[in-house]
Amino acid sequence: MAMASLAGQTAFYYLAAVSVASATLAVTRRNPVHSMLWVLALFLHVAGIFLLAGAEFLAAVQVIVYAGAILVFYLFFLMLLDLPREIAGPRFGAHWPTCAAIGVGFAALAWYARDPGLLPVAQLVTVGGPPLGTLTAIGRTLFTQFVLPFEIASLILLAAIVGAVVVAKRKTGS
Amino acid sequence: MVPVGACLGLSAVLFAIGLVGFLGRRNIILMLVSVEVMLNAVNVSLAAFSQHLHDPRGQVMALFVIAVAAAEAAVGLGLVLALGRNRPEVSVEDLTQLKW
Repeated sequence: MAMASLAGQTAFYYLAAVSVASATLAVTRRNPVHSMLWVLALFLHVAGIFLLAGAEFLAAVQVIVYAGAILVFYLFFLMLLDLPREIAGPRFGAHWPTCAAIGVGFAALAWYARDPGLLPVAQLVTVGGPPLGTLTAIGRTLFTQFVLPFEIASLILLAAIVGAVVVAKRKTGS
Repeated sequence: MVPVGACLGLSAVLFAIGLVGFLGRRNIILMLVSVEVMLNAVNVSLAAFSQHLHDPRGQVMALFVIAVAAAEAAVGLGLVLALGRNRPEVSVEDLTQLKW
């Protein structure tokens, strides 16, 4: 048990370190395609963190939807870029010191707010339901308590599809 | 079992990295990707709280965040496409028509 816990801790700190490193590389690389590949590494490692946190279904969705669909979508759009000119230009705007200061300030603030004394206390629920994070538990919650938000999410996705087509459509005629 | 405090710290750092990328990068597509990094950071903290409180609702919220992220990617990249039709370069510094 202690050994399993130690392995879990090691895995978590490995995943966290690689996540932070790949996120940093993703926002600082000059070549946008390299950035995308670092974001892919970030998404896969975050999926590993979800697994460690007991969210199996979320990890699967992360790999399928984020790494599989959204990232490929972004990579397609990178093909529209004028890549050599993009690489030649500066990566950050002239205001980047302000941005870095805002980022450090935000991280410090959020780190301070992470104080364990402020966390809500875990109540030990011992209901004999399905284990947390499995498809059964997620589906039961999603289709009972969250059925209205679920339908609204499907409407939002429909609106996004139609909106993307309308926005990107080539204007013809007058 | 992941310590929830460490997860929240990781979430804070990832969110800050995404924030810096969103505010600082010149390329509009990379700004949108930075938004995805920020959404992922929020999902990490939702999953951590879900485990901490033994409540599947956090994970359901994370699923909704993923759905909204997909919608945001579709609309955002549609806007970039409409923008790129008029000008090939997608640098935010050139988009100053709405500036006064």
